[in-house]
Amino acid sequence: MPEHHVVLAGAEERPLTAIADYRAAGGYAQLAKARQMEPQQVIQELLDSNLRGRGGAFFATGRKASFIPRDSAKPVYLTVNADESEPGTFKDREIMLRVPHRLIEGCLITAHAIHSKNVFIYIRGEYLAEFEILRAALDEARAADLFDGVTVVLHRGAGAYICGEETGLLESLEGKRGQPRSKPPFPAISGLYASPTLINNVETVATVPKVLELGAAEYAKIGPPDSTGTRVFSLSGNVARGGNYELVNGTTLRELIYDFGGGIPDGRELKAIIPGGSSTPILTASEVDTPLDYDALTKAGTMFGSGAIIAIDDRCCMVQLGLRVAQFYMHESCGKCTPCRVGTRWMVQILHALEDGSAKQGDLDLLLDVCDRILGKCLCPLGDAAAMPVASYVNRFRKEFQEHIDHGACPYGGASSLEHVFAPVDQHHHSPVAAEVPV
Amino acid sequence: MSMPELVRVTIDEKDVHVAKGTGLVETALSAGIEIPVFCYEPRLGAPIGACRMCLVEIEGMPKLQAGCTLTAQDGMVVRTARTSSKAAEGQNATLEFILVNHPLDCPVCDKGGECPLQDLTFRYGPGKTRMNFEKTTFEKPIPISPAISLDRERCILCYRCTRFSEAVSEDGQLVARNRGAMSVITTFEDEPYSGPFTGNVTELCPVGALLPTQYRFEARPWEIVDVPTVCGMCPVGCNTHATVREGKVKRVISRNHPEIDEGWLCDKGRFAFTHLRAADRVVEPIHRVRRRGFEPVSWPEALDVAESLLKAADGRAVVALSGSETVEEAYALAKLMRQGLGSHHAVLPEEVSAGLDAYRLPLSAIGDAQTVVVLGDVPLNESAPIVDLWVRAARRKGATIVQTADDPAVSSTERVVLIWSGPGGRGGARVGELAERLGLAGKDGCGAFYIPATPNGRGVADAWAACSDEEPAREPDSIGLLVVSGDEAAGNPNVRALAERAEAVIVISMFHGLAAGWADLVLPGTSYLERDGTYVNLEGRLQRLRQTATPPGPTELEWISQLAARFHVEIPPYASAVFAELSKRCYGGLSFGEVGERAPLRGYVEAPVHVEVPPVPEPAEEPPSGTGLHLVAYKPLFSGPAVERVPELQFQRPQAEIELSPDDARTRGIANGDRVVVSAGGVSVELRARVSKDLRAGVARVALEHSGGLLGNVEVAPAGAGVTA
Amino acid sequence: MSLVTEIQEIAAQYPQSRSAIMPALHLAQKKYGWLPREAFEEVGEALGLTPAYCMSVASFYDMYHLEPVGTHIVEVCTNISCALVGAQATLEAFERELGIRPGETTADGEVTLRTVECYGGCGWGPVVAVDQRYHEPVKPEDVPRLVQDLRNA
Ligand SMILES: Cc1cc2nc3c(=O)[nH]c(=O)nc-3n(C[C@H](O)[C@H](O)[C@H](O)COP(=O)(O)O)c2cc1C
Ligand code: SF4
Ligand code: FES
Repeated sequence: MPEHHVVLAGAEERPLTAIADYRAAGGYAQLAKARQMEPQQVIQELLDSNLRGRGGAFFATGRKASFIPRDSAKPVYLTVNADESEPGTFKDREIMLRVPHRLIEGCLITAHAIHSKNVFIYIRGEYLAEFEILRAALDEARAADLFDGVTVVLHRGAGAYICGEETGLLESLEGKRGQPRSKPPFPAISGLYASPTLINNVETVATVPKVLELGAAEYAKIGPPDSTGTRVFSLSGNVARGGNYELVNGTTLRELIYDFGGGIPDGRELKAIIPGGSSTPILTASEVDTPLDYDALTKAGTMFGSGAIIAIDDRCCMVQLGLRVAQFYMHESCGKCTPCRVGTRWMVQILHALEDGSAKQGDLDLLLDVCDRILGKCLCPLGDAAAMPVASYVNRFRKEFQEHIDHGACPYGGASSLEHVFAPVDQHHHSPVAAEVPV
Repeated sequence: MSMPELVRVTIDEKDVHVAKGTGLVETALSAGIEIPVFCYEPRLGAPIGACRMCLVEIEGMPKLQAGCTLTAQDGMVVRTARTSSKAAEGQNATLEFILVNHPLDCPVCDKGGECPLQDLTFRYGPGKTRMNFEKTTFEKPIPISPAISLDRERCILCYRCTRFSEAVSEDGQLVARNRGAMSVITTFEDEPYSGPFTGNVTELCPVGALLPTQYRFEARPWEIVDVPTVCGMCPVGCNTHATVREGKVKRVISRNHPEIDEGWLCDKGRFAFTHLRAADRVVEPIHRVRRRGFEPVSWPEALDVAESLLKAADGRAVVALSGSETVEEAYALAKLMRQGLGSHHAVLPEEVSAGLDAYRLPLSAIGDAQTVVVLGDVPLNESAPIVDLWVRAARRKGATIVQTADDPAVSSTERVVLIWSGPGGRGGARVGELAERLGLAGKDGCGAFYIPATPNGRGVADAWAACSDEEPAREPDSIGLLVVSGDEAAGNPNVRALAERAEAVIVISMFHGLAAGWADLVLPGTSYLERDGTYVNLEGRLQRLRQTATPPGPTELEWISQLAARFHVEIPPYASAVFAELSKRCYGGLSFGEVGERAPLRGYVEAPVHVEVPPVPEPAEEPPSGTGLHLVAYKPLFSGPAVERVPELQFQRPQAEIELSPDDARTRGIANGDRVVVSAGGVSVELRARVSKDLRAGVARVALEHSGGLLGNVEVAPAGAGVTA
Repeated sequence: MSLVTEIQEIAAQYPQSRSAIMPALHLAQKKYGWLPREAFEEVGEALGLTPAYCMSVASFYDMYHLEPVGTHIVEVCTNISCALVGAQATLEAFERELGIRPGETTADGEVTLRTVECYGGCGWGPVVAVDQRYHEPVKPEDVPRLVQDLRNA
């Protein structure tokens, strides 16, 4: 089965960065069409297409747009989430590099749908090349008079995963520390500058022109009913051909990893799969036939997430994997709420002890209990994003964790693929756990 | 106003009816149920839901919710930790996490015994810790200013302190640095946290992370009593508690009067109390004896001396009042002088007026105003700091703040409040006239304030007037005796000038620095913290002072009573009895008890105010001529005899700088930070320029102690520009 | 154009000027190489914020340097996807080549080495960013040439 290009359509040969090329591929026709439509009609198309958000939560896009009040006295904002920082995920980058105008067209159509005159694109600071391409594309589109009174501001982040969380993003965009807000109020009612705000992922927004082009009914026929359309899947880890593959939802993990990704290199065995970015619970190799769609993955006890699949071969120590993932979330915790700030650090400490063999019987249960005490108690889902995967590693590979305690050492004896990996949290003091703050 | 809609909320199976939108924490409280909190503090703005201590279960919501962030909605069903095991588990989790890195140094922590974290741990906390790794450690405690120390190990990152700095005092100095587990509370480049309100963070902090340096290892909670009183440091009269141990004040903390201070204090009111123990405190009477100099005398001897000095003055005595006397003290002094000696000459501390009595409002009304007109050029945070907080609160709620009553906002809004802060206000008469012209009388939410120069100027004037129907007289041609009552009067150059002309001088003062050298008799003065009595604040609110500390000798009221007896004037030595007597004339017969602990704003029943011209020359309001600027020299908040004697406040003393409006700075080629020469009539001072956006063009501003005696019309030029004075 | 004016121009794009703090800090960092005290004072002046506030915001984000850094910055992603395919070996190659550990700067002040969280190049790891430009993938054997190019730049 070949790739199915919807979002990336037309960019197979070369990127459609120039507006002329994009137009030649039919670009901006849907914008013209949408502007002839009533805003509500555009939202109806989105509803009928059953398009769901590609940022991670898979929330129905049309439904979210319909929450925006239609008679707001305050300005309405559209904010595009291009902060892409979930480990394993690099699809939005591909979209911005190859079809930047499709994203811009999607912005303008969505803005029309919600009566917004102000669009902000929040792009992670590290994506400098993508920023430049998008800026050039915006300049072209502006010069081509496509904005029709809408302003589009491209805003660069500066390195903080939490600014991908929608309210953290809004705080950051308002010039504050990117700490998420307590909800309610929800952004649709009181978001950016306390005004109604719609927040969507890059891929979601870039899909909008295609929904109009194909028509909601046609779009809805692609993929399973509850996970319509395609996704740009980011494949990485121990695979022969990592990269982005736009596939119809429902494609199995096996197809992605073996048919598109070329399988596991170096003659190794597949051991585990992270199916939706590092925050999603892990699957074992035996679950490789699970289809990549919302229902199937939920049933398998994990999540669709950001569509980032990480293949892990048999050289990887699961305790080290847990430690590295926990380190990431500890490093990225914003520090606002207690369970996340303290819990992620505690998790790292326990995992360290497990890994270096100093953990005692009972520490495994303590780790699970700490995860449990984080789960569902934090201000935003970041804490869950740390607790869920780590708990899943323990649950699915408990034997391996127990071996660390029983042997008082890592059974891989230094041969694990994640041995010694030096995480940013370690940099502060070159010590396993940053215990102090340099003042 | 329309009635708020009542809704029914079920909490732990109990039904309560509250106004829709009431916070869930308050709703629960009305059902007698506690939802524990750390970060929640409604005075800091919208809840942030950070600490997760308040997790509750709400029917219909799958996840636990931060109760502090929710408001009462009709039909809401809430389960707290008492009836929901899920909520209990959430609460336990949070508490365990908070304690993971919290040091167990409660026995030596000054917060111990009055610490919310300690209390909640005691009530709900785990018996033992499951955390067996090294806790986070920091250098501790570090001073974030000379007055406040920070223990980062104890900090639970509730962000109350930084929210205060950002959203209440708006000084933007106390902030969080770094992210996640690495986050710490700090100031910029370790500069001291300065400003009028910094000390409030020591009360907001729910743990022992931010503590007043003065209180370090001073007392344990079971040895102290908190005595309710009011602050006597400025005309606002914030409600306070003085924490007392063995007759000594150890700390001053707030005692939330929602109409006056909302629980905030300025740093002067909070930290200046150690002036009670100043090294140069006058503790016994001092008599000047010819050829032998000054010598301490006993109280009976001192009263003999005072008696003879009073008799010798023979009706030519003048009393200079400070405006910091209690109403009762001023009344007693007045009664002695006027009824006992027939001497009706007084120098009142400042001009007072009844012109505002029709426009009285609680200070909190400023916070609800739509337009606030701030007239005069003395910064509010220097003259009456809490008023500044109310103005900021109003601005945050969307009010327009303007500097002239001609502003269109005044006529286009409903709730207009005038504030006069500066010279030339004639005790409030001017702003009263303005309020009348604008038709504010009787309009809901409208009113006017005048910022007096002294904490109880109005009360003192009332009391002086209440003692006698005799017309108050100007000072006599020759002054037989000058009685200087209190430190403000003793420090006033005009009073000193009067003393030059007097045949004899009695000074009542707390400090040798102010009393020494010029008096024939020095009588030890007391502080507002050592007296019982009443004050009238700038709202016209009569409030109750309580004796919190034992003074070194008798209080003014006690010895005046004895002295008066020698002139056959009966004055009870107790404030309550004195008040009962004067209240019939000033306050409609109100009793001492009725003044109340959180006094209501009653307004004046009748206004027996007699206006006397104070000796302080008021600069004319005429616009500066030529290239000159109108120099306003104000008394800074951090100045005066008490402040000067408190080491922890010295870093807050004003800089040697002059504030200029952006326009005036530009036309003179002066940039922020430049050295400038300020001159008039052959006198000049060199100062640093500060360009200040909220200053009107044509006006320059300087702290009195750096004014070099200049006032009114001055020239300002860059230093070294060839200006010769 | 002064930094302050430049910032104020950017601020005009936003409904509230405070929103411009991130671009402003990026600009200030370009000017100074990192964010010294003056940078916060200038950004604060331009946007009407206190230097403390600006520092507080900057310290939240990884890309703002609150300590001096080298003329060039080498950043090695060590998050799981890159780590699974040898990021640590690549990092160690940089350590050997530069003679420093992550978080440090070479004695001549030329190069700072850091490890970073996922840079979004996972499919082509290990990802290394040199002065914010991505190199994908970078194997240990590529490191000497990269460092050479950097030193010659
Ligand atoms: C910790 C965290 C990080 C997130 N990071 C991103 C991100 O980088 N990009 C993104 O689009 N959504 C991210 N999300 C999801 C957003 O909060 C939000 O749901 C999404 O942008 C909505 O867009 P969509 O409806 O189009 O998916 C993140 C969520 C969380 C909790
Ligand atoms: S210092 Fe106190 S008030 Fe400030 S964040 Fe820490 S615990 Fe909260
Ligand atoms: S009190 Fe509710 S989260 Fe802190």
